[in-house]
Amino acid sequence: MTAKDIAKITVNLIVIYVIGGLILAFVYAKASPIMFIKAKEEKEAALKTMMPDADKIEAIGKWEPHHKHAEYYAARKCGEVKVHSVKDEKTGKMREEKECINPRDMGYVVESFGKGYSSYINLLVSVDNNFTVKKINILHHAETPGLGDEIEKDYFLKKFEGKTLDTLVVIKGETADKVEAISGATISSRAVTEDGVKNGVKMLMEKISVSGEEKKEEQGKEQDHGSH
Amino acid sequence: MAHTNKSNWELIKNGMFSENTIFRMAISLCPSIAVTNSLKNGFFMGVSVIFVQTMVNLTVSLIRNFINPKIRIPIFMMIIAGYVSLIDMSMAAFARPVYKQIGLYIQLIVAFASIFARAEVFAVKNKIIPSIADGLGMGIGFFLAMMIISFFRELLGRGALWGIPIVSGNPLLIMILPAGGFFAVGLLMGFFNWVDAKMAERKAAQETTEKQAA
Repeated sequence: MTAKDIAKITVNLIVIYVIGGLILAFVYAKASPIMFIKAKEEKEAALKTMMPDADKIEAIGKWEPHHKHAEYYAARKCGEVKVHSVKDEKTGKMREEKECINPRDMGYVVESFGKGYSSYINLLVSVDNNFTVKKINILHHAETPGLGDEIEKDYFLKKFEGKTLDTLVVIKGETADKVEAISGATISSRAVTEDGVKNGVKMLMEKISVSGEEKKEEQGKEQDHGSH
Repeated sequence: MAHTNKSNWELIKNGMFSENTIFRMAISLCPSIAVTNSLKNGFFMGVSVIFVQTMVNLTVSLIRNFINPKIRIPIFMMIIAGYVSLIDMSMAAFARPVYKQIGLYIQLIVAFASIFARAEVFAVKNKIIPSIADGLGMGIGFFLAMMIISFFRELLGRGALWGIPIVSGNPLLIMILPAGGFFAVGLLMGFFNWVDAKMAERKAAQETTEKQAA
């Protein structure tokens, strides 16, 4: 192979890869903002279904179940909603902006992961202020079709309503207050109940009761300061 | 294979039957076994492959004179991966509901030996129109194979078709597990070979009777 051949091959490869790269970059530039917005909207919609009564669901912190990124949220109900008309600086049009007055926490939503039979099961759990489970929802998983994928079904998800840390336990066979395992999919049932949901609730209890105590302490300090 | 003399229709039929990706060439078995546990999955995988196979063949044929034979493999890779990313990105942005259904399969196509093979064996040596015909034929052949395999697997494994329950009772769970995929492909491949052998026998018998008659 002569130097000329090598140069030819190099140029050939570079030209085709650069063209391909440019096309991809162009499409990415067009598609990525839309992709990002839609993904965000979908996430918000998923959160909304977890707490349909809440006016606002805000991220209040991050945690890492199984070294994966997940967030937890406070669901808030407004004491009063004020609507302001605001002039949009970009378009010059008037638009409405809602202001939430005296919001109070009505519960929390947490994203969690459970290690299943063949995948990490990604799920959402919503709890009320007493950390009793209101609802769970499976976002993503790759469990065995026909067995493990029963965890998506309503009859299984409904079992979680009203569960607390003590009753989030999987039982094979009939049970009055705990979670009954799906027959043939005990590992997936356990992953959802005792790994994903339970750890999510536990984490929320720790973080939120701790930050609540901190707040109280701070308030207490302020009061002390005032009395002196 | 050098320059083809076959008509476009023959090329399409070739991909559908005599060189069927799954049942004749036995390539791309791995991703296909993964997704054929329901008719719906098989259908979407098949449609995705028809599209990507045709587009890749078209592109490779279009630029075949610019491809230095020594570096054809990295260039094919670039074209296939490029198409897959392109479709993946544009679907994620502009066709969200469809993306949720078939996004996963589109990404799987990157690892498809069959698409690579047709670029290498056919498109790089032939004109654009025959290359499109070949891509279409191979894609449709793959699609048909997906439909047949997933039809039996879902029917036997879940007692349902397209998610709709058809037979009640205890289904053969193994059919929707990966092992069942191998069973289904193996048995169907055997069945088609048997049909082929029978047809060849009949043809031979006919020819001999014709000869005797003559």
